[in-house]
Amino acid sequence: MTLARDLSLASAADAAQVLRIDKVSKRFGTFTVLDDCSIDVSEGEIVTLLGSSGCGKTTLLRCIAGFLTPEKGAILIDGRNTIPVPVNRRPVGVVFQSYALFPHLTVEGNVAYGLKMHGVPRREIARRVADALASVSLRGFETRYPSQLSGGQQQRVAIARVLVLEPRVLLLDEPFNALDAKLRGTMQVELRELIKRLGMTAIFVTHDQEEALTLSDRIAVMRGGRIEQVAPPDEIFDRPATAYVADFIGLSNFIPAEVRDGKVTLPDGQTLATEAQGPVRVMIRPHNLRAIPQGPGPWQGQVRFQRNVGPLIEYTITAGQSDMHVVALRRDRIRPWGEGDAVSLEVIDPEFCKVYPEA
Amino acid sequence: MVAIPAPPDRQKPVDWLMDKLLSGQGVWPAVPAILILVIVAVIPFVMLLSLGFSDFSVSRGQIIDQTFSMRHLGNVLTDPLYWTTFQRSMSLALSTTAICLLLGYPVAYLFLIGGRWTRRAILIVTIAPLLTSGIVRTYAWLVILGGRGVLNNALLGMGLIDQPLRIVNTHWAVLIGMVQIHLPVMILPLIAVMSRHDRSLEEASANLGASRMGTLRHVILPLSAPGIGTGAALVFTLSYTTFVVPQLLGGGNYLNAATMIYEQVVYSLEWSKASVMSLLLMASCLVVLVGIALVTNHFTRWTRGRQG
Ligand SMILES: Nc1ncnc2c1ncn2[C@@H]1O[C@H](COP(=O)(O)OP(=O)(O)OP(=O)(O)O)[C@@H](O)[C@H]1O
Ligand SMILES: [Mg+2]
Repeated sequence: MTLARDLSLASAADAAQVLRIDKVSKRFGTFTVLDDCSIDVSEGEIVTLLGSSGCGKTTLLRCIAGFLTPEKGAILIDGRNTIPVPVNRRPVGVVFQSYALFPHLTVEGNVAYGLKMHGVPRREIARRVADALASVSLRGFETRYPSQLSGGQQQRVAIARVLVLEPRVLLLDEPFNALDAKLRGTMQVELRELIKRLGMTAIFVTHDQEEALTLSDRIAVMRGGRIEQVAPPDEIFDRPATAYVADFIGLSNFIPAEVRDGKVTLPDGQTLATEAQGPVRVMIRPHNLRAIPQGPGPWQGQVRFQRNVGPLIEYTITAGQSDMHVVALRRDRIRPWGEGDAVSLEVIDPEFCKVYPEA
Repeated sequence: MVAIPAPPDRQKPVDWLMDKLLSGQGVWPAVPAILILVIVAVIPFVMLLSLGFSDFSVSRGQIIDQTFSMRHLGNVLTDPLYWTTFQRSMSLALSTTAICLLLGYPVAYLFLIGGRWTRRAILIVTIAPLLTSGIVRTYAWLVILGGRGVLNNALLGMGLIDQPLRIVNTHWAVLIGMVQIHLPVMILPLIAVMSRHDRSLEEASANLGASRMGTLRHVILPLSAPGIGTGAALVFTLSYTTFVVPQLLGGGNYLNAATMIYEQVVYSLEWSKASVMSLLLMASCLVVLVGIALVTNHFTRWTRGRQG
């Protein structure tokens, strides 16, 4: 009985899996750009590839689209290996970083292009193009050329152009790069809503962590061609698998420490159980630290810098040799610390700290 | 208070002129070119016109008693010999243009899809012939195509033919020579367009389901329309008005408008007729060029959105 239920659950999970990237490696000459990358993406999920410049995000995306062929590994879509499938037969839609709109075709021509190439009858083309343009709110722009559109409008054409083909997987390479900061914010939310509404499966590439946190159901953090962690944004932020992820996502404080009897002692005297051995680094998020009036506590410091960011106050507090980042909520009744004030530091919740082996 | 130095009241005229020429405003920067054009093109052209539309007599190398006349134009237009000559020029130039385009486009496409070394090789092979004079290249064709030439010897040696083919002094020799001489002029503008081509457009096209052929037809070809237009206009103009190739490879019995004008000026000294023919040559060339421009414009409508 339970076994049967487990089996049906397993098969349901398999059916929902749209894209499987299985141990993919790619080299350019002797330089390994992708090293044993694996990600599973299920139906309707938005996964972000996040990493610093040159870590191989675009390369992985291009392997999925078929512009590059990996030396090792498999890329499966709906359980079928796509490596031997030519680019123009893959059920994958790419929104290019530069949009790559056809300059000689109107908005309508651009969106109709894929349908034409697939031999869709004219009538249906007209209907589907109109629907696609409506879904990105571009009705009325049909006869314009790409050069007559703003950056945001061009991006929406690029999205409509692939959406109209109803691909199994949508690939977007830094689609917001060319937009100004304000428009970027609104487009991120709009695009996420659109993809969710259509139930599309999507992979985003970005090196902007805020964008990744806004857009994704899960984030894959990449580093030097390897995938460090794949997890939902909350988990990436709260339980980073490696020190690199912790450092890359959000602001962190790292404190060197020594493990004794399976425990680490924090500078404020509290202890934290860990399985790690020997010298370690403890990661404390700025909002897990509190600056209190100077008392007898062992962790003393002095406010070096204080900055107001709307509802938050960011402090840099010099404690011993190192500078600690502390973030506090702004509240009426509590007067913020000023520069030069002497304070004591304490960790709010030791369970929330992470311990990483010394690199 | 910061004192801004007052500009000097008087500027030297030379400085003033240089300032204007370099300002990039109005027609000023083009003034030197305009002056040269007036001297080397407009004045001779007016003189040519005056020869074609007047009766005159020459005495001791000086033109004397020139009176206006439409006689020469009438003579030329009513003589069927001139019509067939122009027709021959036109069909030769049009077929040269068409063949150059058909041969040149694949080379430009290869340039587009090729790697760094392919691109370099194509550039070298295209530009190298331009470093030798057209006359030398035309003579080279005589060596290749002649009765005892390389081609005939090879074909005879392989036993494919019993007698040497008669190629030189025929229409075919002229056409072959014309195509070879003008091919680089077609390829270079095409390559210029191709090298500005955004490779991600091809990837986008493939991603949207197009085959290689589909991408060539629907993306690369329309985007290279400006290059095709430029190349066609250049090759047409050059091959319509050239006289070296028809003269040498046609062996004197291939008469097109340019060779005919040459003969009238050099041998029969009928300057008025030559002048009228030159004008007709120029006018008919312009008509075709306008045609090419209109067609090209039609296929490059999208570039005009740019200002908007
Ligand atoms: N065709 C190529 N030949 C050789 N090396 C390449 C090639 N394409 C990419 N690389 C190298 O592979 C690495 C990964 O490139 P990739 O474009 O995937 O980075 P990325 O993560 O997308 O970076 P960015 O955020 O800057 O776009 C880089 O170091 C790059 O120099
Ligand atoms: Mg990239």
